[in-house]
Amino acid sequence: MSNYSQWVQQKLRLGWVFLAAGVIVAAAGAWIGSEFAYLPYNFRIITGLGILLAGVGFSLLVRYWHARKNGAEARRVSAAERDERMLLIRARAGNRAFWVSLGLTYTGLMWASFAANGSLPELSGDTLWFFLAGAVLVPFIVYIASIVRDQNRL
Amino acid sequence: MKNRLEEFRSQRGWTQQELADQVEVSRQTIISLENGRYNPSILLAFRLARLFQMPIEDLFLYSPEEENHE
Repeated sequence: MSNYSQWVQQKLRLGWVFLAAGVIVAAAGAWIGSEFAYLPYNFRIITGLGILLAGVGFSLLVRYWHARKNGAEARRVSAAERDERMLLIRARAGNRAFWVSLGLTYTGLMWASFAANGSLPELSGDTLWFFLAGAVLVPFIVYIASIVRDQNRL
Repeated sequence: MKNRLEEFRSQRGWTQQELADQVEVSRQTIISLENGRYNPSILLAFRLARLFQMPIEDLFLYSPEEENHE
């Protein structure tokens, strides 16, 4: 078996591990939620984590499945994954997303500081949730948009 | 940076994918190199020069004026 096929097999194994872990965690979350419903905790967060892990595993399997028995395809997939231009594009996108994330976090920190003095309204409830969701989503959108932009430019 | 990659690749009758496979990059990287949109790392430049069996400066045409605009 070539190095490329071994590399693909490693990715597939990782995919299976994530998928299995995700299913187990999601099932555990659902079971705990039903068995201990009287506790004042929301166990859906465990189920959610399980779904996330399973999703990561599934995406790995989908990505590398077609290359598992085809040496040439395994070599191509491996080259595409380690492609220096793509690594540069990802690094640039990560850098931009980092600065946006830093800016949003700093804005939130400043807002909280001013709110403590009564200069700005408190962020609470839905407003806080939407701000935090934005702090996660906006850098992600910047990351994806940056990748798309640089793929066309570079 | 200008280069003569497309010229030498065509001389050998290779497709972009075949060249990409030989130097272990994606076809998109070869397209970008040929269009002059992307400058390769020194390692990739050496791999390409070695593949075409020529000095690196015959393949990639360095001009200091161009550097100021990048």
